Amino acid sequence: MTIQSVLDKRPVITLDSHLLEDLRVDSLDKLMILSALEDEFAITIAEDDFADVVTINDIVMKLKARGFFEGTHSHL
Amino acid sequence: MDLRDFYSRLSVDESLAEVMGYNPYYQKIDSGLNARILVNGHEMIDLASNNYLGLAADNRVKQAAMEAIKKYGVSLCGTPIATGYIDLFQRLEKKLSHFVGLEETIILPSCYQANNGLFNCIAGPKDLIVVDRLVHSSLIEGIKSTGSKIRPFLHNNLEHLEGILQRSIGYRQVFVVTESVFSTEGSIAPFKEIVQLCEKYEAMPIIDDSHGIGVLGKSGRGILEEQRIAGYRGIYTASLGKAIANSGGMISGEKKLINYLKYYCSHLVYSTALTPAVLAGISSVLDIIHSEFSGIKEKLINKQRQIYEALLEGEFKVIYSKAPINSIQTGSKEATFILNQKLYEKGILSTPFIEPAVPINEGRVRLIASASLSQDTVDEAVAIIKRIGLS
Ligand SMILES: Cc1ncc(COP(=O)(O)O)c(C=O)c1O
Repeated sequence: MTIQSVLDKRPVITLDSHLLEDLRVDSLDKLMILSALEDEFAITIAEDDFADVVTINDIVMKLKARGFFEGTHSHL
Repeated sequence: MDLRDFYSRLSVDESLAEVMGYNPYYQKIDSGLNARILVNGHEMIDLASNNYLGLAADNRVKQAAMEAIKKYGVSLCGTPIATGYIDLFQRLEKKLSHFVGLEETIILPSCYQANNGLFNCIAGPKDLIVVDRLVHSSLIEGIKSTGSKIRPFLHNNLEHLEGILQRSIGYRQVFVVTESVFSTEGSIAPFKEIVQLCEKYEAMPIIDDSHGIGVLGKSGRGILEEQRIAGYRGIYTASLGKAIANSGGMISGEKKLINYLKYYCSHLVYSTALTPAVLAGISSVLDIIHSEFSGIKEKLINKQRQIYEALLEGEFKVIYSKAPINSIQTGSKEATFILNQKLYEKGILSTPFIEPAVPINEGRVRLIASASLSQDTVDEAVAIIKRIGLS
């Protein structure tokens, strides 16, 4: 939902959605997603740490690695 | 290391142009911006240039440029800090400051350069730059050069902007960057409200008024006049190559800022000053705006409306704009090129925007009808547009 809020006019987002191919995310969109996640999870994200994400699931994995979503269903 | 590797990385994807047998970029123009322009030797209607007021080939402006050349030659072969700062330059700084209603101004060779050079003089890694998602490449590149934290906000979305500002604490300085008229859309920023938000959150507003200067406001003074923003304490930049019909870029603001930039903005200090012809040309355009703006603006709006109505009749998806821009939502880059090509083949030069100039799949074909187009020319353009739309 956080991600949806900064991507207007886009198709449905699933864990498998590719940022580039499915969601047409460009570099500024990506910055916007990262900002929204920073706000949502009250964290600071260095852009470089997220340079290699390709799908929404990759983002979830990165957040999991920081201890988020343990034992919960993720609502991105 | 092999030079072949280097050159092999420099490939340009021209597949679309090859498939279509048409490349809209770097079309060869064989004339000035006259009633009709010559493109690859063919007479065409110019709905592509940013010559809003139609002053680029005005005889009075040409005359002013020629007189400056007679007096000063074609160049002072020096940067403004050295031999480039002629009396014309100094007078124009004052005239531009007065025109937009701000304390002082510097003039750079282009607004691309101005926007590139501004940010790393005023912002650094401890700062936050909040920027409209759709701003021009020159601003993005300038912003990226600072190492500041960057947070884009949804286009013209005050709620999103305020949310970001509310949560932005702990930075040395927060900047909010936007444009007055977004030229690919024709949309206009709610800048007065943005300035109010900046005041509330102690952020520094920065506006690029490239498509607003000479167009917006009761007397053509741009966005600050249009939205009655009095006592603006932020930073203002604008291109002098659009309505102002010459070339160059200005940065205006408080004396303290401008004086700092005069010594620390390397894009100004180390780049050859605008030439006498251009300085005189800009000055002459400002004089014409001063005495004739309301009449010219009326023509501009009238022409935009005629083109807008033709686009509606032709069933194009056209964005309603309060700026003198008609932007057609074409979507994919293929559809964008195809429409641009159809217009070209029927004698209209338009501007296609595909990614990365616009977000992916948000292609646009832009039409700008200059105030100086004759009614015959507009009638012809209208007929062509309707025919293409309904075919
Ligand atoms: C919003 C905006 N800013 C800056 C520029 C660059 O201006 P200039 O052509 O003077 O370098 C342009 C023009 O293309 C523009 O549209």
